[in-house]
Amino acid sequence: MAIVDLGGGLRLHAQRIGPRGGRPVTATAVLVHGLLTDSLASYYFTVAPAFAASGIDVVMYDLRGHGRSTRPATGYTLDDSIDDLEALLDRLEVTGPVHLVGNSYGGTVAFGYAARHPERTTSVTLIESEPATAAWAGKLDGILGRVMHELAHNEADAIAWITANRSQNTARLAKGAARLARETTLAQDIPASRVLTEAEISSVRCPVLGVYGGDSDLAGLAPWMESVLPDCRTVVVPGHEHSVLVEASGTVGGHILSLILGSAAPVQLAGADAR
Amino acid sequence: MTSLNGHRTGTGVEGQEAVLADITAMLATLLDEYGLDDVEIRMDTTFNRDLELESIDLVALAGLLEEKYGNRVNFAEFLAGMEFDEIIELTVGRLVEHVVASLKATEAS
Repeated sequence: MAIVDLGGGLRLHAQRIGPRGGRPVTATAVLVHGLLTDSLASYYFTVAPAFAASGIDVVMYDLRGHGRSTRPATGYTLDDSIDDLEALLDRLEVTGPVHLVGNSYGGTVAFGYAARHPERTTSVTLIESEPATAAWAGKLDGILGRVMHELAHNEADAIAWITANRSQNTARLAKGAARLARETTLAQDIPASRVLTEAEISSVRCPVLGVYGGDSDLAGLAPWMESVLPDCRTVVVPGHEHSVLVEASGTVGGHILSLILGSAAPVQLAGADAR
Repeated sequence: MTSLNGHRTGTGVEGQEAVLADITAMLATLLDEYGLDDVEIRMDTTFNRDLELESIDLVALAGLLEEKYGNRVNFAEFLAGMEFDEIIELTVGRLVEHVVASLKATEAS
């Protein structure tokens, strides 16, 4: 485990794994997780080992406030998240262009980084994710508003309901999410983030891969993504919702790996595929 | 024969009991962070339901396993080969068996 001190009390937990046995590194991939209940573990125990075995230098980190990173009270806008990613890569001396992969909000961060630094981005994969638009900010405002209302302010009731109707695991993750929402400005900051214009979105000319669960609302974004981006391909994985990364990691990881390795056909990873 | 980091090597492959003791010590370190210092660890203890460890805690456990056993044990690869529900149901015993088997395999090669 590596703790990277970015100053001002912000310390990010990062994990970096690469090919073993002296195999050469062919590319660097930076994997960014989603909001509230997510952490780098969603990659560490799914696609990351297979990526490393394929010759990729894999960088994963916990966003501020998440996982084992510190939880500052403020600084949760999208631009803050992109600043954190920039600072982390500088500290890790990752200077060359990278393949960015983001799940949910992590994809929005990855895309924002690509728009800011086209020269440092080789490709972007958005898993259940989208670029930052006014519609995105409005949607996040609704979701985070509900989290604040139901979890952060009526936590006992919400946790009791989740424990009874979902699982203890989900309830525990929800407690962490409630703490993050209550003790930081995240729920206010994210909807107030600066969003991208359509021209800024279209300026991302590197290959973009969109991966969506067939039963997720976000799957409807696929045609728009392909129309607005110069080099975009989307994949819809049937029978899955927003958790497609962890539930179908073999399929999702295979599509990402074929993009990074530049192969035409998807590579099938050994790994979890719930269906 | 003893390696640089003090582990027994050669014919002294660690058995199930010794590995369970190692992993119990690692879990005590992790649980201590949550103020839990008196939890009994057995072969049938589950990481998720009994110990209430989150997946990010298992990343920390992976680091502790690597410190102890080096690259002879790869916890991330072990879990990456499992389905999501299997990870939720994972027991200490299954990890112990995996570690013992991995140590034996590197011993043999």
